[in-house]
Amino acid sequence: MKPIIHITWEYPPFSVGELSNWLYSIIPRLANYYPLVIITRGNEDNIFKLNNLTIYRVGSLHKTHPHILTYAHLLNLDFVRAASNIIHDNGGALLIHSHDWISSIAAYYISLYLKCPLIISVYTTEIKRAGKIDSLLKMGIFDIEKKCFENADIIIVRDEEIKNHLIADYNIDRNKIFFGRNHDEIISLYRRIIK
Amino acid sequence: MKVLMLSWEYPPHIVGGLGKHVYYLSKTLAFKNIDITVITYTDGTSKSEEFINNVRVIRVNPYSLRYPDFISWIYGMNLLMVEKALKLRNFDIIHAHDWLTALAGINIKYIMRKPLIATIHSTELGRRRGYLSNDYERHIHEIEWILTYEAWRIICCSDYMVSEVNKFFQCPLNKIVRIYNGVDPNSLVPSSNVNRKNYAEDYEKIVLFVGRLVYEKGPHLLVEAANILKRNDIKFLFIGEGTMKPYLLELGKKLGISEKLYFLGHVPDDVLYAIYKMASVAVFPSLYEPFGIVALEAMALGTPVIVSAVGGLNEIVINEYNGIKVTPGSAYELAKAIEKIIDNPSLSKRLIENAKNFVKNFTWEKAAEETIKLYEEVMIEYNAGNWKTRV
Repeated sequence: MKPIIHITWEYPPFSVGELSNWLYSIIPRLANYYPLVIITRGNEDNIFKLNNLTIYRVGSLHKTHPHILTYAHLLNLDFVRAASNIIHDNGGALLIHSHDWISSIAAYYISLYLKCPLIISVYTTEIKRAGKIDSLLKMGIFDIEKKCFENADIIIVRDEEIKNHLIADYNIDRNKIFFGRNHDEIISLYRRIIK
Repeated sequence: MKVLMLSWEYPPHIVGGLGKHVYYLSKTLAFKNIDITVITYTDGTSKSEEFINNVRVIRVNPYSLRYPDFISWIYGMNLLMVEKALKLRNFDIIHAHDWLTALAGINIKYIMRKPLIATIHSTELGRRRGYLSNDYERHIHEIEWILTYEAWRIICCSDYMVSEVNKFFQCPLNKIVRIYNGVDPNSLVPSSNVNRKNYAEDYEKIVLFVGRLVYEKGPHLLVEAANILKRNDIKFLFIGEGTMKPYLLELGKKLGISEKLYFLGHVPDDVLYAIYKMASVAVFPSLYEPFGIVALEAMALGTPVIVSAVGGLNEIVINEYNGIKVTPGSAYELAKAIEKIIDNPSLSKRLIENAKNFVKNFTWEKAAEETIKLYEEVMIEYNAGNWKTRV
């Protein structure tokens, strides 16, 4: 069976905010239902397998970044490197699930190529993080967030506030935003979208 | 064979030699039955898709994504290039030009599992004269390294660039192929509406500089040479724009030779070719020059050339046979070489004749044939291996 591919820049032991722990609490449970691959960053390339779950860590070839936007583009290149091995070794993927904007460029590319569904879980946005979009760097991040969100088939949020914020500030179609507050809700969304 | 060509420059958007290179190479490859799709840039003033000279040209507009700096702008363009390529899909080979399309080339390579070929036209370390002074420059240097690492084969336009790529990126020599640029004399059609009186007096000989007005091209050396010569019968024309222009104007003023210098900025190609024809000598005093396609154009148009003995220029000029070579950075030698050609009509005539014959060795036909040979070699290796698309 083709896997579901999760792409995230945070997964234990790497932790920036709360995303890492949240994914650690939820992804192994999702793997009880579907073969699942997590692509995340690491110090070097390595693969860890446990039953239905594969963790594919990618090390970066690129070390110097003027700012977060250049870092994001190169990080996504590393994610694409890993995703390439997974999709070509498994004959594709059931769907691609990215977590926040920073891993969504790779997720968008892979779903576009495979013509498979793209899900993006949005926990926060540049507007929420920065307060307001008042610099070219923030505008650059906002535009990439918006482009990726627009190209997702499903946006998953955990609360009403983010849902309303995406509708109001990113002009995202309300009909494609769903709640994914626990693994049951996420699995039901998977079942709905996987043909 | 279907080739996806990735270039940030393509007519009508030309910045330097790279755009001309991709244009002529693509056109000639298409003429030889290679199916070429070029994905390139537009600022919104050119068509988003068209078919010219049997080449399918698709343009993406990076201004649809805002950006804090040039690198982010380039990466936004690369994102849109990947998006287009993944929708088109059907390619055998990806061919990227310089770091400016590296990200798109490598992403497409991995997603589609197709071989990537990269042409390295110049390097950041070379452009910065061996010193990377900030994170932007270091970042570009690293992405260039990644491009050479990820590419199946690297094309360089001169032996000098082969050695630079080998040395700067520890790239194995057997991975690098030297394919010289070409020049198409038939495409160099001068405008008939250019009046010499607009540029120089009848008694003035024209010394011409063509290139970006940046340090690595050495325009300041020509201003210094003009000051050494201090001849009333010579006018120095500078065609091109760049960050050094205010400095060069100031330098001319300080040296008291402003009236002998004329900065024309960018001019249309046909006007440029007409000015080449009027010039007594064309000067390329570069401090860094991977190839120097402009010198070939000058030779093809019958203008004697003076070049600094550096990079590709050092390979395409044989001293006192098809041009004169000077030590890089020496305004004195440059001044003496200008005087030598201007005051010696028989030498000038000999250089012109030899150069016209010599440039016949540099054709896009030849460049395209060598490129096709490389494509075929890569496809044989690719087909023999296991690294293939399975989706």
